[in-house]
Amino acid sequence: MDPSEVEFLAEKEMVKIIPNFSLDKIYLIGGDLGPFNPGLPVDVPVWLALNLKQRQKCRIVPPEWMDVEKLEEMRELERKEDTFTPVPSPYYMELTKLLLNHASDNIPKADEIRTLVKDIWDTRIAKLRLSADSFISQQEAHAKLDNLTLMEINTIRSLLLDSLNCMFKLRSNLQPGSSKGQFMDY
Amino acid sequence: MPCERKPMRYGHSEGHTEVCFDDSGKFIVTCGNDGDVRIWESLDDDDPKFITVGEKAFSLALRNGKLVTASSNNTVQIHTFPDGDPDGILTRFTTNATHVTFNSSGSRVAAGSSDFMVKVVDVSDSSQQKTLRGHEAPVLSVAFDPKDDFLASASCDGSVVVWNIEEQTQAISWPLLQKTNDVSNAKSLCRLSWQPGTGKFLAVPVEMKVHLYERGSWDHVSNLSDDLLTQPINVVAWSPCGRFLAAGSVGGSMTVWDVNSKVCVERQKHEKGFTVCSLSWNPSGSQIAYTDTEGCLGMLDGFSSSTTDTNKQVPVKKTAKDYDDLFDDDDDRLMDEGLSDTNSPVKKPVAADDDDDDDFLMPATGRVRNRGAILDDENSLDTGSLRLGQDKFGDDDDAGSTVEPTAAPLVPLRPVYEGPMPTPPQRAFQPGSTPAHLTHRFMMWNSVGIVRGYNDELDNAIDVEFHDSAVHHAMHLTNSLGHTMADLSQEAVLLACPSTDELASKLQCLHFSSWDTNKEWMVDLPQGEDVKALCLGQGWAAVATNTLMLRMFSIGGVQREIFSLPGPVVCMSGHGEQLLIVYHRATGFDGDQALGVQLLQFSRRRRQIINGEPLPLSHKSHLSWLGFTAEGTPCYVDSDGVVRMLNRTLGNTWTPVCNTRETCKSKSDHYWVVGVHENPQQLRCIPCKGSRFPPTLPRPAVAILPFKLPLCQTSTEKGQMEEQFWRSALFHNHYSFLSSSGYEINEDGQNQSQKEQQELLMKMFALSCKLEREFRCVELAELMTQNVVTLAIKYASRSRRMVLAQRLSEIALEKANQIQEEEREEEEPEYSSYRRTSGYSGCVQVLGSGKPSSSSGQPRVTNILDNMTSSKKSTPLSGSAGKQNKTPVLKPLAPRPKTKVSPSANLLKIETSQPKTGFQLWLEENRKNIIADNPDLEETEIIKEAMGKFRTLSAEERLVGRVQTGFQSTNGVKFLTLD
Repeated sequence: MDPSEVEFLAEKEMVKIIPNFSLDKIYLIGGDLGPFNPGLPVDVPVWLALNLKQRQKCRIVPPEWMDVEKLEEMRELERKEDTFTPVPSPYYMELTKLLLNHASDNIPKADEIRTLVKDIWDTRIAKLRLSADSFISQQEAHAKLDNLTLMEINTIRSLLLDSLNCMFKLRSNLQPGSSKGQFMDY
Repeated sequence: MPCERKPMRYGHSEGHTEVCFDDSGKFIVTCGNDGDVRIWESLDDDDPKFITVGEKAFSLALRNGKLVTASSNNTVQIHTFPDGDPDGILTRFTTNATHVTFNSSGSRVAAGSSDFMVKVVDVSDSSQQKTLRGHEAPVLSVAFDPKDDFLASASCDGSVVVWNIEEQTQAISWPLLQKTNDVSNAKSLCRLSWQPGTGKFLAVPVEMKVHLYERGSWDHVSNLSDDLLTQPINVVAWSPCGRFLAAGSVGGSMTVWDVNSKVCVERQKHEKGFTVCSLSWNPSGSQIAYTDTEGCLGMLDGFSSSTTDTNKQVPVKKTAKDYDDLFDDDDDRLMDEGLSDTNSPVKKPVAADDDDDDDFLMPATGRVRNRGAILDDENSLDTGSLRLGQDKFGDDDDAGSTVEPTAAPLVPLRPVYEGPMPTPPQRAFQPGSTPAHLTHRFMMWNSVGIVRGYNDELDNAIDVEFHDSAVHHAMHLTNSLGHTMADLSQEAVLLACPSTDELASKLQCLHFSSWDTNKEWMVDLPQGEDVKALCLGQGWAAVATNTLMLRMFSIGGVQREIFSLPGPVVCMSGHGEQLLIVYHRATGFDGDQALGVQLLQFSRRRRQIINGEPLPLSHKSHLSWLGFTAEGTPCYVDSDGVVRMLNRTLGNTWTPVCNTRETCKSKSDHYWVVGVHENPQQLRCIPCKGSRFPPTLPRPAVAILPFKLPLCQTSTEKGQMEEQFWRSALFHNHYSFLSSSGYEINEDGQNQSQKEQQELLMKMFALSCKLEREFRCVELAELMTQNVVTLAIKYASRSRRMVLAQRLSEIALEKANQIQEEEREEEEPEYSSYRRTSGYSGCVQVLGSGKPSSSSGQPRVTNILDNMTSSKKSTPLSGSAGKQNKTPVLKPLAPRPKTKVSPSANLLKIETSQPKTGFQLWLEENRKNIIADNPDLEETEIIKEAMGKFRTLSAEERLVGRVQTGFQSTNGVKFLTLD
């Protein structure tokens, strides 16, 4: 899976906006949105929020977790725990990227939030690498990874699977009784 | 001593907090568990300055611009006040300090610590330390002797010790308290306090009493107690004058004693009964600030009168003593008479009750000092009022004596008034604005947009922003005139500033919707006239001034009407052609405001709809928002969060439609209302955590609250439906108002709402039926429209309530008559021939037995009467009557069928045009079977037969049909007449 595909999925998440126009309910395949009243918060998918934002038709209300204090707390917890802690949103990284890139003027302390989310991401990826490393070095067969987001799985999936494949091949070559090895001998 | 308990507010996070005033009494300074010291300009300060002193702050003391705090890093630190710059560490302990305090000159600080030590440190030179060792448990509190010789400390080992500071020895030690092992386990914080000035007494809170020890002799002189105190006293604090002693208890009660007379002069209870953990008198002696263990800050205000009382007390006592001499051995009776003679001009209060007089007299005579206190204990009377009575009596006395011998005025005494106290009138405000003293504030937030005002060093500007960017783009104006008031509409922005020394009060209008190039106009008000409130309507602007004048302007700047207001304006609001003004009608008493309201309409018929009637407010609250709903119904909110709306159908009364405080999580949270919508029912407001209004940054988000009428028992199904019905009725009043004032209305919406109400009525009807409340059913039926009554009749007859059905049919008839009469009034001349038929169809009950052929020729009114009587007679034998009847079996019931269905139209034709009842549906399905069984039946007989069969069906089977029956069903009555 491509990161852009994951981002596409993240765009389905709902976010609150405050429109500055008036529009009746709109009926879409994915469900009804609206009605839009100027000044009244309304829930819309991220893709629409960003589109409206780009046309300067709305202000985006940042999700509740996108708050310096809450993120700091999460970062601390993430650093303290050995396992993965629950994340505020299954698409936290994508949403942060999208919202901060397009609507940083509506989000207080955007820079701090960017840094904090990056910190959390880095911590988690480091944990992921560490556990992958121990998984391989100890030749485990199973590993349980809770609270991983799609994006995080994606970053490691191709590398991990390829390298496991590769190692499997190498290992099977080493074993004396294996057919491949015998064949190679000839 | 009348004192006002101000509402508590959030100060710190939960835990021990302390409070003190600065030297000038201007700031309240608190510290708490969150490690911050906050500096409040007043209790309403929503943006207090704060200084972070550590992880936790246990205690603070403030004197001469130095703020000393005990924080969790085991140090006692100094910060400068009010800047908050760190100024070094005064001393350290091996564990945290529990209490710090300054001496009276501010040169030394004493600190008690959990490591059993007490240290006395020079502020200027922290190396000058004196350590007092001897306690065997953590120190609870320390107190300096005002003369700086001694220091008192209380400890968890149960002892209260007085130390000689210079010699570092114990002067005396009393085992007074319960032993504990830690401050957190101590029952009471036992904050000691030394009487300021001479330092004559040391006050020590011991259980429910305060012990007073005399300086020097260290004798236990007396106790202060109060019967109503049931929990141990936590803190005591002397008033700056040294006359009063305030105490706060673990149970949240606060008591103030007059130390000379040992009488309790004030009792207050903490709002929630939390533990009061700190008390502090304002240096002026007029206020007591207190904090609780939940981190909230509160204040008792209004002690100023008590201090003046103090001065008065002296002459009163003297005069009383004089009398005492005069009537030395006389009994009270005689003295009483004598006294009441001398103050004959003010005899009334004295003569009220003889027993009371005695009570008043005894302390006043001053013969037995302590008797007052004893009396106090014996009587569960409010001693506060007792004292007041005594004061008053004395003063009356004095007044009496000064009237007679005018030559010898002792001290000019004002008579003390003890009746209801007038409330200071609330100031004029703009609804939807935040207080003017803020540097960043909302000048207006309404349904059109937001006007923000900035007034700091960098900039003095006004930002105008529209919710709907289609109205106008955002504007940024420099506020060179210093505008403080603003209003915003779809057409214009109206701004006004108060007058200054040189400049008159100005009104500025940015008329952005103007089609010419001049988008702005400005008007100077006459000298001495200041704008107090302003509002915009459609095509007009109104300004109320301090000279009780209301000036109208057209939106283009033409001066229009001018008239006088009945009282000082509080606020105004405009909508379309309506202007709503609220003003001070009179002086309110005991915290209430006396407001009046005027509602004017400037449509074709200019008139005053509400002329100066009182505006109902919750008790002890003031107006906090005034406006119109989007649909144009006047609405307002008071400071208790109750939203009230005008009910035009009930003689312009005000109905409470929502209490925003009910949805608040904490007591200090409020909702700041920005708009009200009737359709859909929305109360748009901004939730404010810990304040009454929102800050401008971060940008607050609007929330929506539902309305709820405060009816009884809304937890039950019945109460819920009643609430829904009346709310729906109330919130759809605007349709009739709008149509009557010539607006187009949304017919669909109106029909929808009516349908909703009728549905609710029907549900309530069904519920009452189930509960066997037939009378209630009839009452409900009276609220129904005729169509629904027929449905109700059907329901009643199905559930075998024939008496109910009978009564309902009478109601239906009545309603039909009413409708007919209305119709006749409307369209008498044109459709008379047609209306006769519609007249018939209106009186449904008649169908089974009426005589249409004869009636068609007669005048209609008699016709109806005939039918009515005949229907009553013939109902019991309707079986036979129905058989012989040749009139159509089914007829449209609706009173105004514009489709020209003739009375003789046949069954099938009508069936196609009418919604079908369950029976009809069933009949359609089964007609063939019936005809096959009885081929020779006529149409009516077929139906009769079918009816018989239908009756034999089970209820469930019938229900299948009933579900499909809409409210338009017109055939319900048929069942009844065929019974």
